[in-house]
Amino acid sequence: MRGKNIWWKAYVCVLAFAFVCSMAFLTDRPALAQPKEVKVGNILPLSGPSASVGQQNRQAQDMAIEEINAAGGIKSLGGAKITLIYADSESKPDKGVAEAERLINTEKVHVLTGCWNSAVTYPTTAVSERYGIPFIVPVSVADKITEQGFKTVFRIAAKDGWWVRDQFAFISDLQKEFNKKLSTLAFVYENGDWGKGMASGWKTLAEKGGYKVVMDEPYPSTQTDMSPLVQKIKRANPDVLLLVSNAADAILITNTMADYKVKPKAIIGSGGGHADPSFLTAAGKNAKYLFDIVEWETDVNKPGAKEINAKFKSKYGYNLAGESVDAYVAMYVMADTLERAKSLDPKAILDALAKTKLTKGPAMIVGYDAIEFDATGQNKYAALVMVQINDIGKGMERISVWPKGARRAGYKPVFPIP
Amino acid sequence: MRFILEDTINGILMGSIYGLAAMGLTVIFGVLKVINFAHGSLLMVGMYVAYWAVILTGLHPYLSLVIVVPVMFLFGYFLQDIIIKPIFKAEKDVREPITVIIVTTGVWYILDNLSLLVFGPQYRNIQDNPLRGKMLEVGGMLLSVPKLWGFFAALLTAGAIYWFFQMTRTGRAIRATSLDREAASLQGINQYKMYNLAVGIGTAVAGIAGVSLVPFYNIFPSVGVLFDIKCFIIVVLGGLGSMGGALLGGMIIGVIEHVGAQFMAATWTEAIVYGIFLVFLFLKPSGLFGVKYEW
Repeated sequence: MRGKNIWWKAYVCVLAFAFVCSMAFLTDRPALAQPKEVKVGNILPLSGPSASVGQQNRQAQDMAIEEINAAGGIKSLGGAKITLIYADSESKPDKGVAEAERLINTEKVHVLTGCWNSAVTYPTTAVSERYGIPFIVPVSVADKITEQGFKTVFRIAAKDGWWVRDQFAFISDLQKEFNKKLSTLAFVYENGDWGKGMASGWKTLAEKGGYKVVMDEPYPSTQTDMSPLVQKIKRANPDVLLLVSNAADAILITNTMADYKVKPKAIIGSGGGHADPSFLTAAGKNAKYLFDIVEWETDVNKPGAKEINAKFKSKYGYNLAGESVDAYVAMYVMADTLERAKSLDPKAILDALAKTKLTKGPAMIVGYDAIEFDATGQNKYAALVMVQINDIGKGMERISVWPKGARRAGYKPVFPIP
Repeated sequence: MRFILEDTINGILMGSIYGLAAMGLTVIFGVLKVINFAHGSLLMVGMYVAYWAVILTGLHPYLSLVIVVPVMFLFGYFLQDIIIKPIFKAEKDVREPITVIIVTTGVWYILDNLSLLVFGPQYRNIQDNPLRGKMLEVGGMLLSVPKLWGFFAALLTAGAIYWFFQMTRTGRAIRATSLDREAASLQGINQYKMYNLAVGIGTAVAGIAGVSLVPFYNIFPSVGVLFDIKCFIIVVLGGLGSMGGALLGGMIIGVIEHVGAQFMAATWTEAIVYGIFLVFLFLKPSGLFGVKYEW
């Protein structure tokens, strides 16, 4: 009987000791009470007409998140790992809105990002604003996305107003450099938010610059035949053709223009479809001499850019495009924000986002030198580069030509198109 | 004036390819009385088969028909036999088997996403084929040679299908099934086999349409969606089940797209096409050559 009692006391002692230990353990490490995971809702067009770019965005973001998590996650949150929860918008605004509601209410995400298509991002940001969830927009460039007075929307890419500004600066520099007058312009653009936004910017600048607009034509991106449009361009006979296209239509227009032998003095794309890696392979030599405006090019002269592109290429088999870079960078901006927010409270994240001042790390593979947001949530420093598609002995490639400081050494742009 | 003539001819050429794409849909509808929502996907499969046939064998795109047509016929035949037939049997007492329509929608999604998985989202086209970028210059007018080939392919296909359904025993058996499947069964016709054949033929025609598109068009997983709605409009315009109607309906749409685009934005020509579609639904729901049948 006595022996049994001792064992009993010993057991109670051990139990008490264990209890105290575990209490001490708990109070010592508050991190245990913190969530081990940051959930990020990512709405992208993973099927439908923009599936190609949607996948590229996804791959760039997956790579960034892998790197961030492998480097120890968010240290100020006890090494919390970031999880991307994907939702497919199919490029449809209503689908994007519904998915945002689902991600916020059901998945309880802490941050939203996406949606690539401006037309999807625009209504979707209204959902995140209503719930007060931070929304990081990597690439949707429609001006109005950051001009809604929302406090939850932050955009990495230059807005389309700036794209337009730089395209016209390029047109005027081109005339000076080659001493050739360009007087007539044709605008051809997809009839979504993005195309229309760009075109309204072109109209104002064309008026200011004294250019004559000989054609102003929206077209549906789903058009199965571009020859009517190309015939119209041919008959309008512009000096400069400005385009806003998604991938399928960019390829089709370029090939059809070659068929009908339409040759304006310069053709200027607006990124998007023209920057899609499959554009170069599918349009081939028909794309020769086309100018395109982009956020980023593989020959950009920034530390780390080459290595990150090489890693991406070995992983997925093609080069990073400007939009993938913005998508990649957005993940590092988010990681930096979470690090400083030290909390998953949306308010804290929003405050940290507004105070972003990123000047180093993998995010700085962009062409400019810092990421900071202005009062509307727009990245103030985002800047653009003009490239020309040409074959200088290594197959078709995109060569940086403007601003002159960023031009690839030894390259002289071909203008007008021979 | 020359511009309008040029646009009209180009419109007819492209339109006949639309018509060819719609012909498979109209064959399947005519026999099964089922709107095949997977038709665009069948067209997409046809384009991929043609693409790989040309890439791997280096054949002239139109010679690849010797591969594409049998492959697509078998694909359609077994798609019907394995996936759609069981649903048909379950619904055999119903005059218009609605669930089959839903199944075809499922097939559409499965095929599109499968090709996204297998082939990836890239846009492909055949860079050096003998037809690519060829233009014919007639009196200052530029006509696309690959589309001209497509035009003749459409005419021949329409003629061949018409001949098959009118002149051959099997064709007549399929038609008998389409008119009254009970009565046809009583005559000893195996209606399910006829259905298999009809879907096989419709799919093979989608394959021919794929071949005619491949020399100048992009190939990507959701390419069918772009043609889907157009095909439905064409089929309604021309009359459900009518080959000539599909061809004419396609040409009407092609001409509207080409000529209309010179006077207004391309967005508007699309609105006009849908407008005409609505007018037809109101005034002549059976289409140009459709038979108003009521059994």
